[in-house]
Amino acid sequence: MTKVNSNKPQELYGRIVRFIPVILAVLLWSLLTFDNHYYLKKVEDLSLFMFDSLFLVEWFKTPGGFLGLAGSFFTQFLHLPWLGALLWTALLYLAYFLTYRILRIPDRLRLLALIPVALIVIGNMSLGYGMFIMREQDHFFAPTLGYICSLLPLAICRRMDRNLSRILLLALWSIAGFELLGVFALSGVLTAALGLVATSGYTRKEGVRLVGIAIALVLLVPVMMYPLYVTYRMATSWSMGLPTPSVDSWTVAVRLPYQLSLLFAILSAASAGRMGSASLTFRKEITVQVLALAISVVTVWGFWYRDENFRTELAMSDAIDNYDWNKAIDIYTRTVRSHTKSDEKAYRDRTAKLKEVTNADEAADIVDRYSKRFFEPTRTMVLYRDLALLKTGQALDRCFTMKDGGRPQNSRTQLFMATQGGKMLYFQYGLVNMSYRWCLEDVIEHNWSFGTLKYMAMHCIIMQESELAHKYVNKLSKTLFYRKWAREQQALESDSLAMATSDPYRQVLPYMCFESRMSNDVAKPEVYIMSHFVDEPVLNPTPEYATAALYFAMRTQNIPAFWDHLRTYTLTASFDKLPVSVQEATVLYNNLEKSNIRIPVDKAATDRYDSFNKFVQSHPIRSLRESSYIYSKSFGSTFFYYYYFIRNLQTY
Amino acid sequence: MKIRTLILLSLAFTACSVSVPDNAGLSDAVPGIFPDYTDVVIPANIAPLNFRIEEQGDRYVTLLTAGSSRVVISGPKVIIPSRKWEELKGNGRIEVQVFVRNEGSWTQFRPFSMEVSDEIDPYISYRIIPVAVEAYEKLTIRQRDLTGFREKVIVSNTMVQTNQSGTCINCHYYRGGDTDNMMFHVRQYKGGTILVLDGKLNKVNMKTDSTISAGVYPSWHPTHDYIALSNNKTHQSIHSASHDKLEVLDEESDLILYDTRNNTVSVIENDVNELECFPGWAPDGRTLYYVSAHYEAPFGPQRRDQIFRDSRSLHFNLYSKPFDPDTRTWGKSKVVYDAVAADSSMTWPRVSPDGRWLLCCISTHGVFPLDQIASDLYLFDLKEGTERYAQELNSPFAESYHAWSTNGKWVMFSTRREDGIHTRVYFSHIDDNGQFSKPIALPQRDPDHSKEFLFAYNIPEFMTEPVHITPRQFASFISGTDAVPAKYESKKENDDE
Repeated sequence: MTKVNSNKPQELYGRIVRFIPVILAVLLWSLLTFDNHYYLKKVEDLSLFMFDSLFLVEWFKTPGGFLGLAGSFFTQFLHLPWLGALLWTALLYLAYFLTYRILRIPDRLRLLALIPVALIVIGNMSLGYGMFIMREQDHFFAPTLGYICSLLPLAICRRMDRNLSRILLLALWSIAGFELLGVFALSGVLTAALGLVATSGYTRKEGVRLVGIAIALVLLVPVMMYPLYVTYRMATSWSMGLPTPSVDSWTVAVRLPYQLSLLFAILSAASAGRMGSASLTFRKEITVQVLALAISVVTVWGFWYRDENFRTELAMSDAIDNYDWNKAIDIYTRTVRSHTKSDEKAYRDRTAKLKEVTNADEAADIVDRYSKRFFEPTRTMVLYRDLALLKTGQALDRCFTMKDGGRPQNSRTQLFMATQGGKMLYFQYGLVNMSYRWCLEDVIEHNWSFGTLKYMAMHCIIMQESELAHKYVNKLSKTLFYRKWAREQQALESDSLAMATSDPYRQVLPYMCFESRMSNDVAKPEVYIMSHFVDEPVLNPTPEYATAALYFAMRTQNIPAFWDHLRTYTLTASFDKLPVSVQEATVLYNNLEKSNIRIPVDKAATDRYDSFNKFVQSHPIRSLRESSYIYSKSFGSTFFYYYYFIRNLQTY
Repeated sequence: MKIRTLILLSLAFTACSVSVPDNAGLSDAVPGIFPDYTDVVIPANIAPLNFRIEEQGDRYVTLLTAGSSRVVISGPKVIIPSRKWEELKGNGRIEVQVFVRNEGSWTQFRPFSMEVSDEIDPYISYRIIPVAVEAYEKLTIRQRDLTGFREKVIVSNTMVQTNQSGTCINCHYYRGGDTDNMMFHVRQYKGGTILVLDGKLNKVNMKTDSTISAGVYPSWHPTHDYIALSNNKTHQSIHSASHDKLEVLDEESDLILYDTRNNTVSVIENDVNELECFPGWAPDGRTLYYVSAHYEAPFGPQRRDQIFRDSRSLHFNLYSKPFDPDTRTWGKSKVVYDAVAADSSMTWPRVSPDGRWLLCCISTHGVFPLDQIASDLYLFDLKEGTERYAQELNSPFAESYHAWSTNGKWVMFSTRREDGIHTRVYFSHIDDNGQFSKPIALPQRDPDHSKEFLFAYNIPEFMTEPVHITPRQFASFISGTDAVPAKYESKKENDDE
């Protein structure tokens, strides 16, 4: 054992080291609460916990079910992000503390215990869009709880004197634990066996026997217990309890942090005795501690998913779920505005580079490379923005004045917009059966959630399917944080008048003036919504519907549809003068078609069109991508810019 | 010590025992209960019909009497002990009196009865399926003991499929309720038709170069080793905003005959301008009933969209087709019910074991009654040549798949009457005149189960005994066995008929 002199600097160092995890916990909580507020809320929205016997029983049909149930229980507290974050941070601190204590990490190396905790943090915070494709929505808390539980058998065994008792406990733990905790229980058995051998004075023969028994339990218990279940394949037995994404290419990334944390526990347990007796100089101890701290912090920071578009989508989605349309618009506008300077810099850098090029291919290559430095919203952001602008009656005035685009998701695989926001978008546009359809698909692919149940209930209430509505609302009334919402909805289940004047229904009903038709969206909501409004004839459209139809006709740059829907709009909607973007579209399309459809437009619109044409003369367009920025600076808020530069966007 | 314990227990029991209120005011109405088991006919071997009293109150007492047997149950949930239930049923007619105390005063509702009648097959099976459009990650075919509440999984797709390669299981069917001769289809990953022949597992691929798909909706020949099946190229489309959520149609469909002993497939009907579907044998095995709609549209990529546009004009007639099982020879089809003339559409014809009745679904259009609110059950008297709307069975919501018990005294059908979307299983007794009794819901240990359960019961089928093959055996067979391709044989037709 290294003797550490009890001089003052070392005591201070010891105190600082002990305090570091507390500081990290506070930092993590702050980061989660203040900077990842919407992420936590979405995690909760995608999860479900009910005080309902069928719901509770369902968890126990699969190994690791208790962990899932407990994970879901804790996840509901993310409804209040500060509280959920506090619970999770507390559990992480507990995981750190138990790692240090149970795995007998020497006090002078205690920061090594941060490593598995960092891995667990990464497991959650590196997910990004992966959150939408998790099979069970217990993933935020379950692995943390599982890791903590995996340390317990070692602690319990140490309190037992007899080897036989320990073996019996491990056998019992592996059988009962596999049912309750899945693979975390099995990992606990290995951790316990190796930990005991390393620290409890076993002879080599006894040690080999104990470890052999543990390995046999890990291998055999899942096989022996398999006939008791009808819910999974034998081959997946050793991953039960670990989070499972519905897309295979995510599996390794999702599970690896947790598997590594368990591996850390197993290896630490195996080397517990040796770690304690290792003779290290004070300097080396500090080096190890600093390294452990650095690895933990840098790894967490490095893998933490920070994508601004993703965060904006989450924030907008939350605002829309609360019918706070202006907030959704504001979030979008702020995100766009925050990139003004960086876009300008990217433009300057690109221009400088382009001056050096000698041929077109090289130029195209530079434009391509620099395109990533310019801010561009995702289609989901744009659709959320459109919805908010339509709901506030500002779409025709403002939509084409705002930045548009189609940046792909910064994600391992491109997630369907239908999975992410389909049920909400369809519902808000009155395509309620399509919304219901995506709720149903979501339930099967990713299990029940608060958010899905809410949309299912709202679908039934607006369709006046009261028995079914009652069923869904009744489920939500058994939750902790949606009881109040459920009570409010219960009053609307059979009262169509009250429903028609309540949010969100009063804002959805005006869009439901169409004849139902049969169709399939092929999992592409944007195309489906645009086609619905533009292509489907409606006999008596409401002003809201006519506005949306005209708006989407302009979005699709479909000139005949524009004239058709403009006619309907002028007959249906009330306005003093045509919205600016519509005036610009009228001027543009009249010129393009060399027609003279007489729609009163302001002189300013015609002047802007003339200016745009003059600008084209003076700024020839080499490629849309290259010229878009310079054009957007002068005409980014006009329909002319939208018509010529926002093209060939990939929806998903 | 023991005596003291006994005394304490007896005191506790006395304190908790329930007495029937003697000062209750009378009500002319029967009480609201769920499921509605008021004034019903019940099978002699059915499990306790537990129910919940849905009347406003703070105390509830239910008195069940039959002959000298008497059971008193307290509380809004009426859970009848099995032994007492058997005693009650043994007396032939159970009378139920419900007392509810509200704001201090007791009300005695009008008593209702449960008439004990013929036995029903002791087992049924059904597929438990989440209500969905395209995804099918969690499917199980389960068997239920009707004399009790035990439900077991027969086969589960989660034991076969991988995370991304999904497996669908569907269309389970038994030869005359015999579970040693049964079948179901496995689609997509590890696909094939699983056939249990005399208890032995087989896996077959019924798709041949001469047929449009593998087998779909089956009907097992009652006397010979044949299964009539439809071939379907099925698609789904979503109603954007109506109470009917989904439309299921076949772009093409035909009928085939599968020979289980020789593993051969032959065509029964494959007219390119006809959409033939839902075969159903008469009990003598000499007539095959099926439905078909005339539809002409060019084949190609547009046909699928076209057929959905034309769906309202798709009317399926009922046909019968003579068959000689010994020579496997077919006669000419003839129309039994002209749905086109009636501006309706018939599906799922199923004939009673005595050959007298044919029960089917009739809707406004199309081929898939499950998703049509307008779908109702109709009864055809094959002896008299008459038909009638089975008013006793129908509800404002969709009634669809149905089956006859092996003794022909009971029908079981699926219905969405409870909430419009989750299909539930109901039973009804049929008398010699073709009159149905008021339908009763599949009894559950917890009467709230049906209200809480967010899955649907699909394709209920009677069984005379439980399936003996375990889910694990099924799963490992499906996973580990390649489907044997069926051989195609030409059709034999008798032109004289």
